[in-house]
Amino acid sequence: MTTRVDIEKLDEKIRQLKQAALELNEMGNEFPAVKRNTARVLASIRMMEINVCDVAGLAVD
Amino acid sequence: MISKQPYWNPVLETMPGEKLRALQLKKFKSIFTWAYQNSKFHRSLYDQAGVTPSDIRTFEDIRRVPKVEKSMMRPIQCKDPFPYGDALCVPLEEVSNFRQTSGTTGQAIYQADTWQDWEWWAECWSFILWAQGYRPADRVFIPFGYNIFVAFWAGHYAAEKIGCEVVPGGVLDTQARILKIQELRATAMMGTPTYILGMADAARSKLGIAPETLGIRRITCAGEPGASIPATKKRMEEAWNAKVFDHAGATEIGAWSFECVDQPGGLHVNQGLFLVEIEDIETGEIIEEPGRRGKMVITALDRMAMPCVRFDSKDVIEWDAHQCSCGRTFRLIRGGVVGRVDDITKVKGVLLAPVAIEEVVRGINGLGSEYEVVVDKRGDSESIMLKVEVMPGSEGRVKEIEAQLRYQLRLKTNLGYDIEFHDYGNLPRYEVKARRFKDLRKKA
Repeated sequence: MTTRVDIEKLDEKIRQLKQAALELNEMGNEFPAVKRNTARVLASIRMMEINVCDVAGLAVD
Repeated sequence: MISKQPYWNPVLETMPGEKLRALQLKKFKSIFTWAYQNSKFHRSLYDQAGVTPSDIRTFEDIRRVPKVEKSMMRPIQCKDPFPYGDALCVPLEEVSNFRQTSGTTGQAIYQADTWQDWEWWAECWSFILWAQGYRPADRVFIPFGYNIFVAFWAGHYAAEKIGCEVVPGGVLDTQARILKIQELRATAMMGTPTYILGMADAARSKLGIAPETLGIRRITCAGEPGASIPATKKRMEEAWNAKVFDHAGATEIGAWSFECVDQPGGLHVNQGLFLVEIEDIETGEIIEEPGRRGKMVITALDRMAMPCVRFDSKDVIEWDAHQCSCGRTFRLIRGGVVGRVDDITKVKGVLLAPVAIEEVVRGINGLGSEYEVVVDKRGDSESIMLKVEVMPGSEGRVKEIEAQLRYQLRLKTNLGYDIEFHDYGNLPRYEVKARRFKDLRKKA
């Protein structure tokens, strides 16, 4: 099956999302609702890294 | 439409084998480095063997990394931090989930997971459920007593993640669960093969409900090898008029393999998330070619709190020679997990895998699904007693059934048995891991 997925673009967007989540997490040091929710968001982002970013360099010839 | 996409990850699941291996090597280096830097237990083990992260450059280098056995984990857990010990790689306050092994092979092992690890468990199961045809339109019933065992917790979270509606069967008893499936028109469920067969029996005998009419279309099994044993799978599929799929996983490893909708007679290893090596039981040589059985040594490539690096699982598996028609490049293991090194035992000088007995018993029309095997020794003489149940209505066929049973047992296991017939319902029933094989020689 041919995969029509722009993995490089996905990779780039996930990196931007992670950067934003990390900044929010840092800003939430005095704000538990932000700190803990961004911790969860970062765990989900890690799953996207496993699925996309870790694979990106290998998937593109 | 996303529901028509056959793969949870269309890139990873169709990646050529050599690229998968390159990914595995990269990820192995990463998890090995993490364990070396953050777990006192692992660092000490690797220092003693003289292996450090910079030594890992090729696949062959991986084989220099010492294996971890379950027996090594028990003493670790007497150390700080309580209750996990010094294989823990994160501060205790980052642990969000406690689970423990069932203790089937000895003292239970405690397992710590962070929230990220828990997301990862659900991710492993998302690969499984998507490959087995679960889609957002499914209503998934989980007939599982949610507790300290990981079992179907991760299946629950994965079903939520992929968009299904999840009905937790929790503390409901078996009859209440069946009635809830009927009331809500659930389309899928998960359970151990023993329990799935037991539910079908209970539906018929206690409620007068034909389980095949309930509308369950797919069932995912775990905890026992039954869904990869053809006779057991057939019984479940006929009882529920549903497709039955196997998967294999373990508390200290993760959910590492799955059967896909094409039911190729084996399980796909999720090579994107796990590195599976098969080792010759006698020589320790790594087996790459299909058709040779060995024990599995496995690495979970992304599990962080308590890393699983070259874990000697004792599961007996073999590579399949074939590529699956589903298009996944993930390698198949033929017939699923065929046993455990500890289970395969010598009786009367012959190697016996208990799954072979199950395949025979459940393949004979007129016998119930339950059975029990008792191996004993008197003086120098060993004996095997097989206890089986006769289905109602088949009592008049016992002689014919016995002849068939003896012939098949001799053919498949090369052993003679004492056979005891019981009325239907007399042998023990199990909800989680069944213990049907009793070796009394060990007690003696």
